[in-house]
Amino acid sequence: MIRTLMRYDWRNLSADRAPLAVAVVLGVAIAYGAFNGSEWIRFQNRAISEALAEEGERFDRIRNEIPKIESGEKTVSPFADPRQPQSFGRNMGTRYAVMPPAPLGALAIGQSDLYPYYFRVSTNSRETFLNNDEVENPVHLLTGRFDLAFVLLYLYPLVILAFSYNLVSSEKESGTLALTLSQPVSLRRLVMAKVLLRAAFVAALAVLLSAAGVIIGGTNLAAEGAWSRLLVWAAVTAMYGAFWFALAIAVNALGRGSATNAMTLAGAWLLFVIVIPSVLNVAIKALYPVPSRVELIQAIRVAGDESTRQGSKLLARYLEDHPELAPPSKGPGGPPDFGTLLVAVNEATERKVQPVLAEFDAQLANQQSMVDRLRYLSPAIVAQSAFNDLAGSSAHRYKHFLAGVDEYHRQWRGFFVPRILRKEKLNASDLARLPAFTFREEPTADVTGRAGVAFVGLLVAVVLAGIPAVMALRRYPVAG
Amino acid sequence: MLEANALSKSYNGTTALHPLDLRIEPGEIFCLLGANGAGKTTTINLFLNFIPPSSGTAKIGGLDVVQQPLESKRLLAYIPEQVMLYKNLTGIENLEYFTSLAGGRHSKAELMGFLEEAGLARTEADKRVGAYSKGMRQKVGIAIAIAKKARALLLDEPTSGLDPKASNEFSELLKKLSGSGAAILMATHDLFRAKETGTRVGIMKHGHLVARYSTSELGHADLERIYLEHMHD
Repeated sequence: MIRTLMRYDWRNLSADRAPLAVAVVLGVAIAYGAFNGSEWIRFQNRAISEALAEEGERFDRIRNEIPKIESGEKTVSPFADPRQPQSFGRNMGTRYAVMPPAPLGALAIGQSDLYPYYFRVSTNSRETFLNNDEVENPVHLLTGRFDLAFVLLYLYPLVILAFSYNLVSSEKESGTLALTLSQPVSLRRLVMAKVLLRAAFVAALAVLLSAAGVIIGGTNLAAEGAWSRLLVWAAVTAMYGAFWFALAIAVNALGRGSATNAMTLAGAWLLFVIVIPSVLNVAIKALYPVPSRVELIQAIRVAGDESTRQGSKLLARYLEDHPELAPPSKGPGGPPDFGTLLVAVNEATERKVQPVLAEFDAQLANQQSMVDRLRYLSPAIVAQSAFNDLAGSSAHRYKHFLAGVDEYHRQWRGFFVPRILRKEKLNASDLARLPAFTFREEPTADVTGRAGVAFVGLLVAVVLAGIPAVMALRRYPVAG
Repeated sequence: MLEANALSKSYNGTTALHPLDLRIEPGEIFCLLGANGAGKTTTINLFLNFIPPSSGTAKIGGLDVVQQPLESKRLLAYIPEQVMLYKNLTGIENLEYFTSLAGGRHSKAELMGFLEEAGLARTEADKRVGAYSKGMRQKVGIAIAIAKKARALLLDEPTSGLDPKASNEFSELLKKLSGSGAAILMATHDLFRAKETGTRVGIMKHGHLVARYSTSELGHADLERIYLEHMHD
């Protein structure tokens, strides 16, 4: 029965050439989205490889230079001497901490164009190399690039609604509903068949074209977790689509005309995809404003100036705090050199800036937790958060990266500061012992777990829209 | 076969159909006459379970249409004033679709046979329904009833707007169906057809079935006179 209904419904639909037109439009949009995503990934990869190449050349030069300086063949000023740990660790020998694009990075650019994906880590205070900028929009709810996630979040619901806004109303208006329902068929079964057909068509389009996008985008499916991420991506896409179908059935079940249905559903699209996310965005910023960037920079400057003025006093206190780092008392005496002072000054600056940064981080965390709670107001936000998570362009992965960078920064300082204080020069063999940064991908289970929560959220939305829809269908006015 | 027991319908306090008792046996053609809004279509929609009754029951072949909506519809064929088919499908495809919903599986030749029996020319059967006249669509409706071997037919002003020849053909088909044992309930404004085709007529007014006659008792002139008399308040 369902198969018969679906077969004839398909004949009817295809006679309109509407499905073909929609397939073409959606296909072009998805291909363009996938192309944009893969361009962004290519751009990131190019930037990363250029950074690493620069580092490699620099290290080659230093490696050549050190023996020449040691043998006296070449003379350089102390500031340009790579053997000086303060020069090397602060500037000449700094290394890049790099976060490569995630396996599905091409699918959702998300906030990855707002966040830096590489840092040049030095012994200076963290703030000098971390672009600790205000994140303009915590969920990047409104704008964004035209990527696959954009197509799925914005256009895919429109395609679904275009197919289903008149699911029942058109049959009623053309009079075929009465003839169909005078056969032993219930309205619910008829609606189910129509939805299944359309869902199968749209889902097949979305999945096939996304798969094409993945291939066009050059996604590395051999990467760890790529397949499970893709699977969850497909599940979230399906559930997000199911929500829009359920909504279309609910609106149809009210028994109004096709035009009214179209207006109502367009309004719902506007509400869930545009209005709620923007209102949420504004509300979050009003409730948890992030201190201004100017304030932060000012605080860093003031703290830096103050610390520099206090110079030697700070060093004395620093060495009291870190007695193990104090130069051997019988070692070379004399006034502390520039590098030694800088270590203490950096530390003091960091301490002074800390409250402003903490305020910054706290507000961002407040924003994020408010988003996490209120995102359930709109399935579009829920789906977007899942897409960004799965593509590795969410705030979660960035935070994970930052934590790694912080750890690396500590290692870097741990390597250089004792040498600076001991005024110990580096030699060629030290180069091989430098700490190196390797990005460890977030565990796949963490990512799919978060997306799984979003999936359940969408499931709840489907049930909330679906139950009243099925109830209302019972009372559908077939006649009159 | 068709049976209404104290069947009534009211909408927000206005009564569209006062309690109606009616039995139509196999082979009978019962013609419902009456002005627009008298309750004819309401009666048919109640038998179709398109609207829930306010009280009473409608039964088809002994099956309560509310309790057993799908089973009762297996026995039923419905021909509205406009038989609306899927425009993008051909006549034979439409027939195939509607009969398969009723669980029937027929070969193309059988389907063509049903259409011919209903009077649709072979050459028309493979054309898209979008180009069909009202009469041709009514014939597809009849073919559905034939293919389904409907035991009960509900017709809502099926001949209004048909030319006399088409209307006559339609009446002949109805007689054939009732001859093979179908019970037919037809709402109509066509007194001539009612007298010609019907076995009984009933006159409805403001939701009441005010009079019933056997057509054999009446002449054409009688029916018109009686009808008009009832229409005067």
